[in-house]
Amino acid sequence: MPKPPPGIAERDFQAALRELQGVVGREWLFATDEDVLLYRDGYSPLWGEAEERFASAAVAPNSVEQVQGIVKIANQYGLPLYPISTGRNLTYGGAAPAYSGSVVVDLKRMNRILDVSARDKTCLVEPGVSYFDLYRHLRTNKIPLWIDTADPGWGGLMGNALDRGGGYTDIEFRDHFDAHCGMEVVLPTGEVVRTGMGASPQAKTWQLFKYGLGPWVDGIFSQSNFGIVTKMGFWLMEEPQAALQVSVTVPKRRDVVPLVDTLHSLMCAHTVPSQVTVASPVMAGNNPELVRLRGSGGASDADWERFAATLSGAPFWAATFVYYGPSKVIASQWEHTKERLSGIAGVGFRETASYTFPLSDEQVEAVADKARYGIPSLNLFSSRSTPGAPPLEGHIDFSPMIAPHGEDLIALTDYTGKVYADQGFTPSFVAGMMFHPRTMICFHAVPTFRNAADNTKTRRLFETLVRGCAERGWPIYRIHPVFQKLGMEMFARGDGSLHRLHETLKDAIDPNGIVSPGRYDIWPKRLRGTRG
Amino acid sequence: MKHIALLVLVVAGSAAAQDAPFPIAAWSRTKAAVETQGSPAERGAAVFNNWCSACHSRGPQNAPGTTSLQAKYQGSVPAALEDRRDLTPDLVKFFVRNGVAMMAPLRKTEVSDADLDALAAYLTKR
Repeated sequence: MPKPPPGIAERDFQAALRELQGVVGREWLFATDEDVLLYRDGYSPLWGEAEERFASAAVAPNSVEQVQGIVKIANQYGLPLYPISTGRNLTYGGAAPAYSGSVVVDLKRMNRILDVSARDKTCLVEPGVSYFDLYRHLRTNKIPLWIDTADPGWGGLMGNALDRGGGYTDIEFRDHFDAHCGMEVVLPTGEVVRTGMGASPQAKTWQLFKYGLGPWVDGIFSQSNFGIVTKMGFWLMEEPQAALQVSVTVPKRRDVVPLVDTLHSLMCAHTVPSQVTVASPVMAGNNPELVRLRGSGGASDADWERFAATLSGAPFWAATFVYYGPSKVIASQWEHTKERLSGIAGVGFRETASYTFPLSDEQVEAVADKARYGIPSLNLFSSRSTPGAPPLEGHIDFSPMIAPHGEDLIALTDYTGKVYADQGFTPSFVAGMMFHPRTMICFHAVPTFRNAADNTKTRRLFETLVRGCAERGWPIYRIHPVFQKLGMEMFARGDGSLHRLHETLKDAIDPNGIVSPGRYDIWPKRLRGTRG
Repeated sequence: MKHIALLVLVVAGSAAAQDAPFPIAAWSRTKAAVETQGSPAERGAAVFNNWCSACHSRGPQNAPGTTSLQAKYQGSVPAALEDRRDLTPDLVKFFVRNGVAMMAPLRKTEVSDADLDALAAYLTKR
């Protein structure tokens, strides 16, 4: 049997489980080893070690009232809860709790699409609604709206938004937390709050106007532990008449500076609407000389140009993005983009895909880069594609955020490549991905394993990257629970004043400290001694 | 968000499309999930469509799990699970509840025990 949460007697734990079962029914209380292990983080960097985070039980409510009932019992027994929505936040912790011994509140059964307004282009969903669910709903009912999906698309709208994930379509929709409009939260006291216009009982604008009246509090429910969100509204994108996917290439390493500057300017002017990925056809691959250069920590431009010359004309950088809208407007935007970039010697322009909407089912399946068109898929994933290769077991994302400056992208790849090489890892290739309007995120997929020896090396690499990049002005935007304390330490200006504010809020909102202790290193007063 | 380091090129595999044994067996991201009712076979096919096909449909296009199994078995068994004839119910249940490599296990709030029985029956049909 799983162990009770620390500090709770077995007898009290069993009593609490019986009461939880009374709320949700026998079928939806999970307390055997076999069932609780389903909530293990398969990509845990602590797999099999004493510090790995485990749940003590899981409970799966089907209504807001049941969530309130669970919260009431948790307050009575001091039971730590850990709510999850679809539980697919893999690379950032999956379904496992931040604090071992927590009871996972699995909200997957609350999977109702409560409202979709074709007229207002909004939806209201419960936590368990996945990207696939909503996409199918829109297609089946021929509603000409797009979702913006994370990639891979096995998660859900609410969980991804609350961890501040993102997607690929227009800027109004691809920052998933920013695209939400109104939420319903069960507070740790059991009280239900609707934010924004949802607090006004007769308002017809809950999903239309974000702020309501008074302080706007939605932000405190993201990357935090201040309540259990049970409903969220989102703005949806009107299906455009057409889309054009393009690639812009530049030949030299330093060309990335004017390339990114110009694309950033075009994004700010709403000429380029989509996410922009700036990758390097020269730097990607496993050629031994390439790997050596990536790990050298500062190969010169001349070194890189000499290597690039061996690749029969591959451009050093390629930017990929998409225009959405009427065909005539797209043509003008693309023409303007080409004019703005024409000053870079050797710049290349290519149209890689074009669509008019709606697509038939067969056309949907044939779309190569699905997430850029709001189509969920798992195509990103593969454990292996080379015969005989060992399977990948997992990874966690190291996600530093930089200014949209080409020189920062070069400096970051030089630095992280050397860290990888110095610690015995193949230097990771990094692309600059402009999800947000004024920053780039540079994902590094750091491998995790099912053995402690390799994971010890992984953790050392990850910690070095987090600290080293923060020291250079590139802190992360999101992080796995095992490293959330470390991550928050990178935001410690003023002797940790922001973190103290988080815990001041925690004490006020969750006096018994029952919701997700330790998430993003926010601890309730009674458990602060366990920090670290 | 997309992780460049994990991008893979989906390579051509074998496993040509077979006649679907049930009308809902073909993977569709564009149709509403079929209610898991009806005959056990239909229910198993619906569970497969809902939870497995995004990775394990007859590929290789849009089927990273099929691609991975093709790389693993290199044609000694069909890469697409629906074409296998050597699976047992216990094996199906083991991988659903334990996961493997990048595949995370599916919880009972996702695939219930009854749904898993139906899925196992569907994938072990002869």
